[in-house]
Amino acid sequence: MRALNIAATGMAAQNMRVEVISHNLANMSTTAYNARRAEFSDLHYQQIQRPGTINSADGAVLPAGVQLGLGVRAAAVSMQVAQGTVTETGGSLDLAIEGQGYLEVTLPSGEPAYTRDGALKRDGDGLIVTSDGYTVVPDITIPEDARQISINADGEVYAYFDGQTEAQLLGQFNLVSFSNEKGLEALGSNLYRETEASGQPNVGQPGEDGRGTFRQGYLESSSVDAVHEITGLIEAQRGYELNAKVITAADQMLAAMTQIR
Amino acid sequence: MDLAGYVALTRQSGLARELQTVANNIANLSTTGYRREGVVFAEVVRALPTEGGSVAMTDARARFTDELQGALVETGGRLDLAIEGEGYFTVLTPQGERLTRAGAFTRDADGQIVNMDGHALLDEGGGAILIPFEAREIGVAADGTISVDGAPQGKIGLVTVEDQTKLFREAGVLFRADTDTLPVEDGRVVQGFLEQSNVNAVAEMARMIEVQRAYEHSQKMMDQEDERIRMVVRVLGQRG
Repeated sequence: MRALNIAATGMAAQNMRVEVISHNLANMSTTAYNARRAEFSDLHYQQIQRPGTINSADGAVLPAGVQLGLGVRAAAVSMQVAQGTVTETGGSLDLAIEGQGYLEVTLPSGEPAYTRDGALKRDGDGLIVTSDGYTVVPDITIPEDARQISINADGEVYAYFDGQTEAQLLGQFNLVSFSNEKGLEALGSNLYRETEASGQPNVGQPGEDGRGTFRQGYLESSSVDAVHEITGLIEAQRGYELNAKVITAADQMLAAMTQIR
Repeated sequence: MDLAGYVALTRQSGLARELQTVANNIANLSTTGYRREGVVFAEVVRALPTEGGSVAMTDARARFTDELQGALVETGGRLDLAIEGEGYFTVLTPQGERLTRAGAFTRDADGQIVNMDGHALLDEGGGAILIPFEAREIGVAADGTISVDGAPQGKIGLVTVEDQTKLFREAGVLFRADTDTLPVEDGRVVQGFLEQSNVNAVAEMARMIEVQRAYEHSQKMMDQEDERIRMVVRVLGQRG
């Protein structure tokens, strides 16, 4: 009775969908989080009656045959690339990226990673780092006596000092874009790593070649749509129950079989 | 010879197959672009040794694909495409061109539009569609024309086949066409939407209950047939 195994693949798929939805809902307030979506695709088909089998003495062939599917599998859990709402925070080192692009940070291992979370901080030496303390590339150090920091749309960081009217340019942030953002490997902590699927990172000035721009004093909210997720959750739960029903039916048919004397 | 048992057996093995298709449909309740499948039963007539006698058995002989439009659900993805009406997208797999209604596409590392299994989406002329990496806005018009930042970049070719029975299912929500494909004139591509599986959960449940009951009926018939033969043996044994 293959129906048992087929329904089991269906239950596993719906279970995975609930897991993806719960991850999205858990990250409803995570800065710059992009919702994930589970994609499914059907499994192989068994050829019970091959199409084209000769059916009768006069050579008539079966037009369609019988193909029986074997269930469902997870094809991908893809990131839904969408601009989250930009929310005002007023923080001078809070940067929202409007449009495409990632900030490059250096992990403690020396490896590059990419993030859209622009809630930046200063470390003990004045270096601009992420909330987890990873350095943003290129290194920009804010002098201790700087009165005010201003970052423009192109990522140029200016500092104002007491007794000076002109702002001093400290450095400029780059933005990195990828051919296939969905191909980035999520590392957690809002960080992503380049993979073969994502393509080479294209580092460059904000606002050029399709890259987005910065907005100081704002943060990008999570792009999770709670209503959408909840309707998905209801669907997944009912789908799970339906598959469980199929298992019960198959079980009862098997029970009927054992009663044949 | 006792044939009633064999007739009931053909019914039961057919029903087991039908339950398998029902289980597969329900398992694919959330599979984008999935088409419900069904089994068609046919009568197999077997001649009996007595004059003019025959017995009808049943066999799952053919399958059909339900071409009903699935519900379109908004996702907002720029490369999430749904087809409203007739037609299929063409994707290039290592085994050749395949048709699909599953429109969750993305860009790969080279900028080509590919599906989640990495198969390239083909345009009208059968070539892959490239999106330059600096693209800011990707627009897909109802006729399948892809524009990048306002400039047309290619046109997705929607195709269909004249004879639906020439479409064979393959893993990955793909169909293999064993005949020439024809371009679709009036198919509409909708950007930012995905077509849900066209499986109707209620109908599948009803089919499932029907299959289960029919299975129990034929089992009951076998039981009664068994009882009848048992009785014959007992009664005839007593006489002798």
